[in-house]
Order: sequence, then C-alpha cells, then structure tokens
Amino acid sequence: MTSGDGTAAPSDADLLRAHVEGDKQAFGELVRRHRDRLWAVALRTIGDREEAADAVQDALLSAHRNAARFRGDSAVTTWLHRIVVNACLDRIRRRQAHPTVPLPDGSRSEEGPSGVEPAAPAQDHDTALVVREALAALPADQRAAIVLVDVQGYPVAEAAEILGVAIGTIKSRCARGRAKMALALGDIAHPGEGNQEASTSVPSGPAADRRDQR
Amino acid sequence: MTGAEFSGVDIDLLADYIGGALEGTPDESVVATLIADDPRWRAAYETLGGRMAMVGAELGRLPAEPMPDDLAARLDEAFSAPRLTLVPGDPEAPAAAARKRAGRRMRWATPIAIAAGVVAFVGFGLDYLAGRDSAQENQATSAAGSAEQAPAAPPPTLSSGTDYTRATLTTAPVQPLDAASMPDSTFSAEKNSDRATGALPGLSRLAPLAALQACLDAIQRENAGGPLSVESVDYARFEGAPAVVVRFTAANGLWAWASGAECGTPAGGADTLAKLPVR
Repeated sequence: MTSGDGTAAPSDADLLRAHVEGDKQAFGELVRRHRDRLWAVALRTIGDREEAADAVQDALLSAHRNAARFRGDSAVTTWLHRIVVNACLDRIRRRQAHPTVPLPDGSRSEEGPSGVEPAAPAQDHDTALVVREALAALPADQRAAIVLVDVQGYPVAEAAEILGVAIGTIKSRCARGRAKMALALGDIAHPGEGNQEASTSVPSGPAADRRDQR
Repeated sequence: MTGAEFSGVDIDLLADYIGGALEGTPDESVVATLIADDPRWRAAYETLGGRMAMVGAELGRLPAEPMPDDLAARLDEAFSAPRLTLVPGDPEAPAAAARKRAGRRMRWATPIAIAAGVVAFVGFGLDYLAGRDSAQENQATSAAGSAEQAPAAPPPTLSSGTDYTRATLTTAPVQPLDAASMPDSTFSAEKNSDRATGALPGLSRLAPLAALQACLDAIQRENAGGPLSVESVDYARFEGAPAVVVRFTAANGLWAWASGAECGTPAGGADTLAKLPVR
C-alpha cells in the first residue's frame, strides 16, 4: 500500500477502494493524509475545539462506514470535506436549537473553557483574534464558504462542490461575509473612520435572498 | 467605516458585485450603473472593495493549525489498529474506538481494561460491547474472573403502542416494563418477537434480538457518545410512524431516541426520527 519500495503511492481513490475491499490500514492512511486540512476546516467552521474534534470524528466514522457508497463523482478529498463540513453545520444547527453561546476564544460559556485556540505569533495575535471573532460572528453558511475559500485556499468551484451549491452562491456567500467582516473590523483596522454602531444598520437589499437561492 | 456611511446602498448587492457573484446576470449591469451614476454607490464601492480585499488577505494569514496530537492518535488507533477492538469480531470496532473521548468524556479502553472488571457492572451497555453471542462472551471473559461471567441484564422492553411526539418523547414509558415481568430476566428473541409482531407489525423486523442490537449499534454510532446503557426499549410509534423509542444513558447524557423500522440496516443507519436529551 505504501511506497517504501519506490513504487508510486496509492491515490486517495485507491486507498478508499482498498478499504472497501477489506484493507484494514487503507482508511487510516487516507485519514493521515488529509486530517490536518479536515481539522482546520472543522475548527474554523465550528469555532470550538471540542466540537470540532467531535465533528471530525463523527464525520470520519461516517465516511469509514459509508465508503462503499462513494461513486467517484468527485475527488475523495472533496467527499471527505463535504462530510466534515456537513457534520459541522449539523452541530451548529443543533447548537442554535439548544443555544450555548460560543465565545470568541473558542470556549463555551456553559461548560467553561473547552479549548482555546492557540495564540498566533505575538505580532499577529491581536489581528488574528479579531479576525477570528469576526469570522465566528458570520452566519454559518457564509462562514463555511469563507473558511474553504479564503482561509484554506480552495478554489471556488471545489468549495461549491464540497458545500453542494452553485459557484455563484459560493461567490456571494464569500463576498457578503467579507463585507460583514469589513464592517465589523473597520474600527480596529481604521480607528479614525467611525464607530461600530451602524454595523447592524447595513441595509439588506431586495436581491439578497434571491441570489442566495443560486 | 460603518454601515451608516453606506446609507442608501445595498451592501449585500454591492458585495456580490465586488465578489463577482453577479457576473453574467442582469444585476451586474444594474449595479455598474448605480456605481457610475450614484455618488453614494460609487463611494461605497471604492471603500468596500478595498476593505473586502483586506479581509480576504487577513483570513489567508490566519495561522495554520495541525490536528491536535490526541485527536490524531485516536483516529490513528481507530482506523489503523484493527485488533484494538472492544467487540470481538465487530467490523465497527473502529467506530467504537474512535468514539472514545479524552478529557471529560470516556477515555480509550483496551480489551484488558474491559476484562479487568467493568463488564459486570454496567449491564447491557457493556454486554453489547463485550460480544454478541455467549460463546464470544465466554471466551472474552473466561480469564478475567467470575465477575465478568455474570449474565448481563437485558434491555427492558415494552410495547406500549404509544404514539410519541417531540413533546412527549422524553416522557418515561408508563407501561410496566417487560423485564419486570420476566422472572428469568433473559432477553428472549422469541418473546421479543411475540411482543413486537403482536403489537406493532410495522416493527416486526426489529423483533429478533440481533436486529434490535444492530439498531442499538446504529444509535450508538450516531449518538457518538460512547457505549449505551439502555434503560428501556419501547416498540411504539413516533408521530404516527412505527418506531422503537430507546431511552439510554451515554457519555453525553440521558437521551430519548425514536428510530424507525429501518433502524440498524446498512442503508437506514439509526433511521432516526427524533432524538431529545432528557432533562
């Protein structure tokens, strides 16, 4: 399965096929290849380390169980990301149904600190913190799109495939999310330009909902 | 920069334009015209475009973070060490292993830890983990002393026929549990079959013990809170549909869980109709 003898490493699809055919090591190898990116997406999307860990575990268990259903219509990594992101969004929806207010530092108010995101290098710490705060304040759909495209650097088309929406929808979610963040971050980045009071007075245009349907 | 300075400007629409979401749509030219003709739109465009680009750049500079070592180790162990199974021969053993949580949740357990004496004290929840048939159970526990050989309690079952709703799902079953009337406390597939098929034909598939265990397996996987300690299984209905309503305790609390007739099938998973924490 591995390339220690100089042979080419198996592709992701090869590993998934091997897993379906009973190779006990193949799925673990697949996870090792992609776990850091899957974790990063989950953490930034859900904003809480413990919930992100649970979401990743649940998602990978689901992928492990349902690997035979993978039809190869997308890349294996896209499929894995889709499962992880959906697990995160499900958790966010459940959290909204039973609110526990997430704190910007990644801890939850009801249970005490559950996993503060590690500090960035000192010179970037403040900026990274406020950017994370602003990101966490976005609607979940916009946040998920921005995490994939702006934070993780996925092409818009791949993000669209992961989230199961049109490319235009990803562009719109990213753009609106960036605009909201620009408003929220304005006072910090440009303290002389105004105050934050009006971030809630930004008008929503009549076309807003229409375009989100794409 | 505030939203107020963009008074009269549809920020979402402008953001869509800046972000390229309007390309090829009629709105693209509408917004372009507004920017050309309306000073407020033009000013907002010039300001917001730069800020959005700045935000994008800041997002791209967020520090990368690898998966924490403990989580990576758990996944490694779950998916790459097939003999660290808690259930002899269980193909879902990786699931059982991976669901263990660090910290406030259940920690990883090895077969040795299981054999060391916890099996006898947690009833069906670990009976379920310790093996699906008596031969496996005996083999797994024979070297670990008499405590492990105590018969595990069956999940108390009943067939109330109650049509649960989300409002009543967490209500404890009102009908006396079958287990209380079973003198030998043996979980009999035959009895279970009679109970299920007699009262609710829609649930006959879940009558055999193996099918019920597969269903509980599926619920355990979906719940992702570790082993279940089942309080009751009610062959009933949920909002009119045949459903088994399972009350159980896991590491994530006490739950009332309604699963449909396909619970435990490969395609159906837990066939969850509703699940609510019991508070």
